[in-house]
Amino acid sequence: MLEVVDPGLLSTIQDAGRPWAADQGVPRGGACDPLALRVLEQLVGGPAGSTAALEITLAGPELAVRETCVIGLSGADLECEVTEERRPLRPGTTALVRAGTTLRFGAARDGCRAYLSLAGGIDVPLVLGSRSTCSVGGFGGIDGEGRPIRAGDLLRPMKPGALGLAGRRWPGRAGGSVGASGSTVVRVVAGPHLDRFPKGSLEGLRSNSWEVSGRSDRMGIRLDGSALPVPARPDLVSIPVTWGAVQVPPSGQPIVLLADHQTVGGYPIVAVVASVDRPVLGQLRAGDAVRFEVVEAVLARRLKIASDAIFDADAAMFRTDASDATAG
Amino acid sequence: MIVPFGDEALLVVLGEVIDAAVNQQAHAVARGVRAARDESWHSPWGVPVPSYASVLVPYDAASIDEAEATRRLTALVARTARTAQASVEIEGPVQDIAVRYGNADGPDLETVADRTGLTTDQVIEAHASTVYTVYLLGFVPGFAYLGILPPELELPRRNEPRLRVPRGSVGIAGRQTAVYPFETPGGWHLIGRSDAVLWDSRRESPSLLRAGQRVRFVPEPRA
Repeated sequence: MLEVVDPGLLSTIQDAGRPWAADQGVPRGGACDPLALRVLEQLVGGPAGSTAALEITLAGPELAVRETCVIGLSGADLECEVTEERRPLRPGTTALVRAGTTLRFGAARDGCRAYLSLAGGIDVPLVLGSRSTCSVGGFGGIDGEGRPIRAGDLLRPMKPGALGLAGRRWPGRAGGSVGASGSTVVRVVAGPHLDRFPKGSLEGLRSNSWEVSGRSDRMGIRLDGSALPVPARPDLVSIPVTWGAVQVPPSGQPIVLLADHQTVGGYPIVAVVASVDRPVLGQLRAGDAVRFEVVEAVLARRLKIASDAIFDADAAMFRTDASDATAG
Repeated sequence: MIVPFGDEALLVVLGEVIDAAVNQQAHAVARGVRAARDESWHSPWGVPVPSYASVLVPYDAASIDEAEATRRLTALVARTARTAQASVEIEGPVQDIAVRYGNADGPDLETVADRTGLTTDQVIEAHASTVYTVYLLGFVPGFAYLGILPPELELPRRNEPRLRVPRGSVGIAGRQTAVYPFETPGGWHLIGRSDAVLWDSRRESPSLLRAGQRVRFVPEPRA
């Protein structure tokens, strides 16, 4: 069990979200780096989709270990360390942490979101089929209250006795790393409103270089760069929108929707991020440079299927390693 | 018309208007997709999301490709269009929502009266004498876009959106009216307030209102 000493910048409980509740106006929610969450589910032995993790943004919390337990980490490397032992904990691993020690975080090395979970997942209530924090609706997450963690909160494992989960290592990528350089290529397919835009808008999205604005959050990534041409009649009847939709408001500065996006939107959508690149999208930091590559939908689907196959192969290898460790 | 929306969803576009008949078609398509989901474990469809004149239909891209999804959804939409006219009692009973109009509860009531050339009583009478339909839920959980507002109440949004609209506020903008389920920012004209709980995640059905439902506002006696 962990106790929050200092909450850091923004840490919320997330699992795979509530895609089934969008017709009630509920944001999908869930981990902004979905690959990191899937890796963590495997590492801590939690159920697919509803394993709760702490999504830690940029400046991590300080967590006191109150009862010896197993923690797992994935996503970006935010330099997590067991302070008293000067022991660094890396994404893609699990470790035993002893009562009386403290976890602290450092700089964001290759992304902005790290994920931390406990054996079996963090024990918070299911609300509408998910443990994710819905800030706007005030439900889900810690105590079901729809808020970030704060000092004094206790994070309890679903399987407190499962100390044998320590020392595991994920053999593949632990999330959508954007690297230290902060220059990232994101693949997109043509959007549903492309025919409304003046000629050259998609080309502009592709050829311009964009910078992630500091006004980005879990709802969307705002991009700064040379303004894209916008449709002559920008006032659309609102349509349902998805994670990855690239909206272009009248300013011409695109907004890429993330996991907490509103369910409907009225801005024209020039492109949609390929689902395979959602993990990378979720790791972009303010100031990072972004380029877009336009791909055919057929290729986007193949890339996603290939990426899922790699994950499955990693998972098979991981299970073999884990059972060897148990046998040995 | 069916267009791709990314590599895991299709968008059924039924029009470009805020119109009762088109919106009913959207709800009929959403119901059709839900029914197909419920019929089979192998259904490739995710939960559909209807809006004014379109429906987002996610699909399992690992099992079918875009062309196959489009072909199947086209057939499903055609079937829905044939059966939509036959289904009658889709909306259920009218949901009454009690409202305290004006004063501190409806700080924009006077302004709305001024700008529409009506008295405040006429504004209330117009707003409360209409039976509305839930066109869609969006913005925040349980926020139901209700239409269509009587034409004499049509106004553009406020120039300066409020940073905080109190929970339960009843607003109007354009051809729409709604009750704010939570304290949020908002740009609509606030004419009253209700104690109705639009959203409670502990309820079996958290949202008081659902798409397609009919709603009537009932004025509470003014203090």
